[in-house]
This record gives sequence, C-alpha cells and structure tokens, in this order.
Amino acid sequence: MLFPQLYVPGQQNLYFNKTVFVKCMLQGIYSSLILFFIPYGAMYNTMRSDGKAIADYQSFALMAQTCLLIVVSVQIGLDTSYWTVVNQFFIWGSLSVYFAITFTMYSDGMYLIFTASFPFIGTARNTLSQPNVWLAIFLSITLCVLPVVGFRFLKAQLKPTPSDKIKEAKKRPPPPSPKRRLRRTSTRRSGYAFSHQHGFGALIMSGRNMRPKSPFATTGTFSPNSDKHKHKGL
Amino acid sequence: MAVNYSVKEEADGHPSGGVGVPGGGAVGGGGGGAVKTRKPDNTAFKQQRLPAWQPILTAGTVLPAFFIIGLIFIPIGIGIFVTSNNIREYEIDYTGTEPSSPCNKCLNVSWDSTTPCTCTINFTLEHSFESNVFMYYGLSNFYQNHRRYVKSRDDSQLNGDNSSLLNPSKECEPYRINEDKPIAPCGAIANSMFNDTLELYRIDNDTRIPITLIKKGIAWWTDKNVKFRNPTGDGNNLTALFQGTTKPVNWPKPVYMLDSEPDNNGFINEDFIVWMRTAALPTFRKLYRLIERKNNLQPTLQAGKYSLDIAYNYPVHSFDGRKRMILSTISWMGGKNPFLGIAYITVGSICFFLGVVLLIIHHKYGNRNTSADIPN
Repeated sequence: MLFPQLYVPGQQNLYFNKTVFVKCMLQGIYSSLILFFIPYGAMYNTMRSDGKAIADYQSFALMAQTCLLIVVSVQIGLDTSYWTVVNQFFIWGSLSVYFAITFTMYSDGMYLIFTASFPFIGTARNTLSQPNVWLAIFLSITLCVLPVVGFRFLKAQLKPTPSDKIKEAKKRPPPPSPKRRLRRTSTRRSGYAFSHQHGFGALIMSGRNMRPKSPFATTGTFSPNSDKHKHKGL
Repeated sequence: MAVNYSVKEEADGHPSGGVGVPGGGAVGGGGGGAVKTRKPDNTAFKQQRLPAWQPILTAGTVLPAFFIIGLIFIPIGIGIFVTSNNIREYEIDYTGTEPSSPCNKCLNVSWDSTTPCTCTINFTLEHSFESNVFMYYGLSNFYQNHRRYVKSRDDSQLNGDNSSLLNPSKECEPYRINEDKPIAPCGAIANSMFNDTLELYRIDNDTRIPITLIKKGIAWWTDKNVKFRNPTGDGNNLTALFQGTTKPVNWPKPVYMLDSEPDNNGFINEDFIVWMRTAALPTFRKLYRLIERKNNLQPTLQAGKYSLDIAYNYPVHSFDGRKRMILSTISWMGGKNPFLGIAYITVGSICFFLGVVLLIIHHKYGNRNTSADIPN
C-alpha cells in the first residue's frame, strides 16, 4: 500500500477499453503492412549474389516469416516488465528453436523421407545466407519497433501514468527526508547529558509513562521541562 | 494491506520474509507435521525473487537509441544505394504489341504452332558490362503465385520416384493423364514452361559474332542435386526410363529430349528446374543463361551494337502479359534494387529527425514530472 493511486487506473478501466483496442488494431495493421511490403520491395526483380533466383515464392515466404518472428520476439521483450534469466532464456530460446526447426524442415534428409510434406528444401540455406535478406529483416524490425518505443516514451513524458511517475521516482535517489527516528533515546541522551539531571531510571520504575496523568501532578523530583520530554517519547 | 498480511502470516506461522530456508514450507508452520503443507518452497524462483532488470524507457536510453539508429542507417543506405547504382542493367521488352516492333508478327502464336516464329531485335549497349553478365527472361502479369497453380505439381515424381512417375498425384489435375498415359512431368507449372529461345550476337562491322551463353549453373545446387532426380533404372537411356509416360500437353518435345547432354536432360534440366521454382510476384525474372567473363583485361560485353535472335514460342498476349530480356551484372547484394538503399536512407533520416524532436519535447515537458507528484 505504498502507492495506493496505482489502483486508480484499473478501477477507471484505463488500460483496456475501446480506444486502447483500436490503437492495438492500428498497430497490428501497420506492422502487417511493413512485414509484407519491406520483403516485397527488397525482393522485387532482384537476384542472389550469384545471379540465381531469390524472388521465388518459398524464399519470400521464409523472409516474411523470419521478419515476423524476430519482430514479435523484440516486441515481447519490450512488453516484459522484468527481464529475468528465465524470461530471456525463453525469448532467445524460442527464436533459436525457430531457426533450428526451419533448417531441419528444409534439410535434405526430411525431404528425402517425406517428399510431399517438405517441399521447401534448400530454401533456408539459400535465402538466409544473403546479406540482402538480413538487411531487409533488420529494416523491418526497426520500422516495427521504433514507433512503439517512441510512442511510449512520448506518452511517458507528456501524460505520465501513475506507474510511470513511480518508476521515474524510484530511479532517482530519494531525497534525504527527515526520517522519523524510532529510537528517541539518542536525543534524550544528548538532552540529559547536558541537563545535569539524574536520568530516567526512577521515572520508568514509577510507571508514570504508563498512565499519563496531568503533567502537573508530579513529585518534586522532576521539573516541568523533563515532563514535556517524557510525553513526547510516547 | 500490511495488517491483513500479517494475519495471514500468523495463520501460517511462517513469516514470508525469511531468506535462505530451502524447503522450509513442509517443515515449518504451526499445526504439526501430520498434514503436509502446500506452501511453495522458499526459493528465489518460486517466490519470484529472481534477479531482474527492469527496462524502463527513460530519456537516457530512448534518445541515444534513435540517434544511433539514425547514424547507422544513413551510411548503410548510402552504401547500398551506391552499390545498386553501379550495377549495369539493360532491358528489352520483346512482346511485340506495338506494330513497329520486329516481333509483332509473332504476337498471336499458339501452343501448337508447328512453324516456329522468329524475330530479331537490334539494340546498343551504352556502357560496357564488366565481370560476369547474367541473361534473364522476365514476364509480367503472369501469376505464378496463384494457389491452385502452385499446388499443381508432384514433387515425388520430380524426385525420381518410379511409382509416382506412372501414377502422378491428384494435385496435378487436369494435367495428370493425357490419352490414357500419365504425364511426366505432371501439373500446370510444368505445362506452362517457358520455351522461347534467345540468342545474342555482337555486331562488329556487319559481322555477327555469337556470344557464348552457358546454360549450366543457373539453378540452385539443392534443386539440381537433391530435389529433382531422374527416375532410377538400369542404363542411362532416359527414353527407356520414361517409357509409359507422355509429354505435357503444351510442350513441343518430351522431357527426355530437353537437352542432348545427359546431366542436363530429363527432370534435371536446369531450365526446367528454374521454371519450376515458382515466383512470388506477378512480375518476375528468371535466370536464362550466363555470360562468363573472358579475362580481366576485356569487359565481358563491350559497349556497342548487339542483336537478339528470338524464337518466339511462348504466347502471352491472351492474358496481357509482357515478355522481356534483361542483361545484368551482379553485386554482393544481388541485382539492381534501389528500394533497400532508399528505404534505409529515409528511415535513418526520419529516426534522426524524430530523435531531435523527442529531445526538444523532453527538455520542455519532461522535467515537469518530478517525484513531488507522488504522495509518499
């Protein structure tokens, strides 16, 4: 309950409503257009570096799919609040499993065993070795991810949500606030070191701090000044 | 919340703040050892205390990222664009739709024309072409990516499986059986194979010097050596191996007469393999021949006059298609494609500009939100 105002956006349905849904859809449409047209432009009428075909249907499909998976992994990494080892293992692991499965599915062995099911043989080797393809993949990742990053940063600057403010505050070192001292004995100690008085032993034994009576009903041992100190200690 | 939590803690009898007590759940807790507690172990993994890094989009990370990406992309884009501009390319459209074109007479050939139609186009190369030159044929408005077309093939038959040779798959319909004999190779893709013949001559003071065109090494290695195999059998006589099958409907010659050389005949003919690798877009080009460079001193194709002899067999006029011949050199990034260079330069500049804009916004508005807003 350190920051109760963090509960307010949930109550007001600020994080999932029709506006947010429409924004998600728009981002999806934008990403889809990027993920199709960047490979399209990169492959249009072009060839491999040894002159052979790269603009065939299988290479185009592989390129678009690789772009998509890498963009999705990067987006998942951005959306994760805490990057733990387990988290990172699964994100990088799923990307490497994708490449492993792709190369296995498009290998010679699988084709010779199950000919009709794996017609994409050789595509991964021949396409993913082209620098052209990787440049296009890199471009599409940047085009898909940077607007999201910029948009979130802009929102955090102009209209910060309570959680943004708290994250900002936590990042800065907390200003030295006057802490409430739990142990008052230190002030008391410095107080009575110069006070030339007996100290508080008799006070405690008398039980006066248990039953606060009127501050003036005291024995002659204590002065009104020390009574004031005593009540502050409670 | 703190109060509620402590009540629960006392019910469990085990404060959750304890550290370094592995498996303490089963042992601790009030209530005796007869009932096994279902409390999860007090490990960092199960109590969600793993060391974590929290990615927060602060100005210190986002703004440098924008600037760095802008600064990296612009030189890459310039490099790609310059490389693409240095690639030499020459294209001739020889469909023959204009009446003035030499190939206009061949415009209405059909599949079963017995007399071949030939035409010749003369052209001039302004610049010489260095290093290896590649000759492509290009088609437009030809949808090799139509789904029913793409599925219309039998990969087992093309891999040399003898049972599929005589019994092709159902996907090849209606190009599966012709006159009660199975078609080899079956399917619509094989049936529509490009069969124009292009020859290149250099014109040097009224003499035509033929230019050597190499027809091997145009298909992917994996295609030629793994994916496509001739049917196995005894002897190298392909005619005997293909017995019992018939040629595709639109082909002039059967598959075992595609070339005289045995390692370029049958299913492993490279022109056939190149055609069977279906293109992704309706405007595409496929490698036809290679022109190898002679030596380092002379350019492969000198600037000057050339003549292209075409045996025009492939009709495209019925679907408004276009045919063209392309001569092109190649670089490390493939053929001439300015798109990637321009895209990188554009994205780099936009990133840099956005970085500046975000920096200005951050300076003006960002420092308003101090921790004083949060009541502690």
